[in-house]
Amino acid sequence: MTALNRILGALVDWLQRPLGGAPPIVGLVLWSIPVSVFALWVFGKTSNQTRIAAVKNQIAAALFEIRLFNDDLRAIVRAQWEILGRVIHYQGLALVPMVFILPPLVLLMVQLHQYYGFRGLAPGESALLRVELAEPGGERPDLRIEVPEGLHLETPAVWVPALGELDWRIAADAAGDYQVGFVLGGETATKTVRVTDRVVRLSPERPPRELLAQLEWPSEPPLPADGAIRRITVGYPQGSVGLLGWAWEWSFAWMVVFFVLTMVIAVALKKPMGVEL
Amino acid sequence: MTTPSDTASSRPARLVLAAAILLAGAPTIADAYIGPGAGFAVLGSFAVVFVTMLLAGVAVLAWPFRMVWRALRRRRRARPLVRRVVFIGFDGQDAAITERLMAEGKLPNLSRLAERGSYRRLRTTFPSITPVAWSSFSTGANPGRHNIFDFLDRDPRTYLPRLSSAHIGPVTRFLKLGKLRIPLARPDIRLLRRSKPWWTILGEHNVWSTVIRVPITFPPDRFHGAQLGAMCIPDLLGTQGTFMLFTTRPESTTFEEGGVRVALEHNGSASSFTATVKGPENAFREGNPPMELPLELELDRAAGAARVAIDGSVVDLRLGELSGWVELDFPAIAGMKVGGLTRMMLTEAGEHVSLYLSPINISPGKPAMPISHPSYYSSYLEKRIGPFATLGLAEDTWALNEKVTDDATFWTQTQDIDAERERMLHVGLDRLRSGALVTVFDATDRVNHMYWRYIEDGHPAAAGVDRPEYGDAIERQYIHNDGIVGRVLERLDEQDVLFVLSDHGCTSFRRGVNLNAWLLANGYLALRDGADPARPWLQSVDWSRTRAYAVGLVGIFLNLKGREAEGIVEPGDEAAALKSELAARLGGLVDDETGTIAINEAFDTDTLYRGPYKGNAPDLLIGYNHGYRISWGCASGVVAGRVFEDNVKAWSGDHIVDPRLVPGVLFCDRAVSSDDPHITDLAPTVLTLFGIRPPGHMDGRPLIEKERP
Repeated sequence: MTALNRILGALVDWLQRPLGGAPPIVGLVLWSIPVSVFALWVFGKTSNQTRIAAVKNQIAAALFEIRLFNDDLRAIVRAQWEILGRVIHYQGLALVPMVFILPPLVLLMVQLHQYYGFRGLAPGESALLRVELAEPGGERPDLRIEVPEGLHLETPAVWVPALGELDWRIAADAAGDYQVGFVLGGETATKTVRVTDRVVRLSPERPPRELLAQLEWPSEPPLPADGAIRRITVGYPQGSVGLLGWAWEWSFAWMVVFFVLTMVIAVALKKPMGVEL
Repeated sequence: MTTPSDTASSRPARLVLAAAILLAGAPTIADAYIGPGAGFAVLGSFAVVFVTMLLAGVAVLAWPFRMVWRALRRRRRARPLVRRVVFIGFDGQDAAITERLMAEGKLPNLSRLAERGSYRRLRTTFPSITPVAWSSFSTGANPGRHNIFDFLDRDPRTYLPRLSSAHIGPVTRFLKLGKLRIPLARPDIRLLRRSKPWWTILGEHNVWSTVIRVPITFPPDRFHGAQLGAMCIPDLLGTQGTFMLFTTRPESTTFEEGGVRVALEHNGSASSFTATVKGPENAFREGNPPMELPLELELDRAAGAARVAIDGSVVDLRLGELSGWVELDFPAIAGMKVGGLTRMMLTEAGEHVSLYLSPINISPGKPAMPISHPSYYSSYLEKRIGPFATLGLAEDTWALNEKVTDDATFWTQTQDIDAERERMLHVGLDRLRSGALVTVFDATDRVNHMYWRYIEDGHPAAAGVDRPEYGDAIERQYIHNDGIVGRVLERLDEQDVLFVLSDHGCTSFRRGVNLNAWLLANGYLALRDGADPARPWLQSVDWSRTRAYAVGLVGIFLNLKGREAEGIVEPGDEAAALKSELAARLGGLVDDETGTIAINEAFDTDTLYRGPYKGNAPDLLIGYNHGYRISWGCASGVVAGRVFEDNVKAWSGDHIVDPRLVPGVLFCDRAVSSDDPHITDLAPTVLTLFGIRPPGHMDGRPLIEKERP
């Protein structure tokens, strides 16, 4: 997984580089085009297009029936039942292509989430820095934090024994990319913190060496499996997507916008590409 | 034990299971995105369910108000004697052939119907042709009341033929924007059939009817029910069916009937060709230029195959095999297209290459003209059963006449259309809880017309064919019809009534009679000096010296003063005397070459019809004998040639004869009260079965007593 993340990360970084200075909406529009084309192509190749068209036709016919026999309540109810059954069938037919579309798309979406899900810290802004230990409970550990110039700690560490967590508020003084160091019993670990107003790769979490954690947080190499520190997170502010002065701040906002964009593009391209959706 | 097919069938299930596991285990971010396609499935389904609920909600809320409104509008509460009445019409099913096949045990379902209920020969209309007979079926009236006397009428101002059943006028009001014209009105499309069909009367009493492809329903009637139009629905070019032959052959001659030849041009190699499909006139452009679609054909001579690319579709063809329906969307202006359907066939793939395109049917899914009621009914049927033929005369008899297609292709066409029709019938029957359903199948008539030459020794149209492959086509068609009846019978119960009927029968068409040539030879018709008598549509006629002429298929008109633009025959005694004289001379007219009587009787329509429209009828109706019919030349207004000539076209059987020679059939699963029923009796019968008193304009009488059958 680490190697895959490294390769994918390098590829996405390269593609994303020209978009660093542009508003997020621009990057999302540009990413949604190839994603739509890819998804449509795969959908077209892996789904049973004939059956999808047939099921959709029957759904449309049942809708017509509701209009046609609008004096006949039994006919209306029958048409509704038919529609329900056909819709379930339609969903089932869409599941097969989803199997092929989802894996590559999930990997890409996770990468894009590192860019568009959060924004970098601004000078003067602070965030929660959290270290989760491998063994919760017990005594407060003797963990030393090394904060580089350009950042400073606003609060002393807070120890949460039940969770095995140490929390700080870390504040940004100047723009830049920083490495915060942690030393615990001879073991060392680092965590990147980025202070920037550009759309860049952020790493809200340095994950443990576990498959799903690495899949979700691919921007930094995982922490050693047998180390005392399990995970380190930085609470970056949520990303925002906006257009013409309007902005929506939520770490998943980009995904909603991206979803709508891919839908619109898919509608526009389905006929030229000859795909029945 | 697991078989390979088990493994194959379980593969999708495994994939779905894997996907479900992946989704369940994947991080939150992945859950949130499902991509276009799957996303569409979810959103589309949600939208469908939402719209369904909305429509259903509106329907339920409006239902009480609709019921009250209907009750207020309803003339009188009907007390139906039955739950459903189903009519299956087999256009042209001949009584004599049916009886022979029943006697041979080849029509078990019809025989069962006859034993259980009744079978009668069904008297048809004068003339015995489809538009007239089915109009009488619909209205229960004679032609003098419903105004349909022939396929063609003539415009008395110009003597030119025109469609008798529908008027299709152009759009006359436009907003001009440079070369672009925006129509400000709909084209004037009117049904010329008069009187009230029984389904309209049933609707007035809140009884639903589904009327599928009953001839002369274009544009459709508006009533409480659903209707798909039939005969006289034009193709997308506005004609009654124009096929196209794209060919590299250099012949410049045009087809005599309903077809156009289009040059297939080489496109850089010996196996690559291009052409342009000319579609309907573009009313949005100055001068109404045709809308066009480019066609590309890649030929594989060795394999006898071709790949045709047109309008984004790629169609793979094999020599002599008819394609399925191909959708064509002709671009009118940006964002507006006119939809059509055609079928293709590669007819030559050697030194010369030819591609046949059937007449371009109006797309039922996106109809460019009103072909159904409600307007979305054709779209509904298209969604239910797939694309289907909409052209009035959907089977391409003209291409077979012109030898562009062959017997096998025509057979495929008719059977495919029959199959479409049967699916429509069952869709209608599925959803008919009470009311009437009528479906007319055309294939029998077309098969009679085109394969009759094979069931009769020495038919001139079968010269040189010793063992025709389709010699039993007519018999096969009747057996096929029997199957249709059987499948419907299985779905009916004792509260339903089934009628199986035909509008007329069929007989031989060996010899054509050119009435205009006879009128010319006998001094009733004169030609202009120096005019070419071979010109069509009577263009060579000197009207100032002509007393009678033939237009259309069934009769003769007098050139009546005050009615015709250049009429010379005085109405009244002179006209009556002329009619009597013509009737006397034509009745018993003998074909000198064969010594056979060609015309049994010429009927005076003044005594034949009753009703307000009988003045629109031909003055004389010609009752041909078996083997005779109006000639092809006379039908297209040609005066030249001999009075009698052999018919050598594939169209070799016909029913435009003395109607007494070609009765139809009537089967019913109940006893009928008349021994000699007439096609006009069906309309009052269905009304009676639904407890409605037949109106006075109906000439027919109910065939079933007004008591619970």
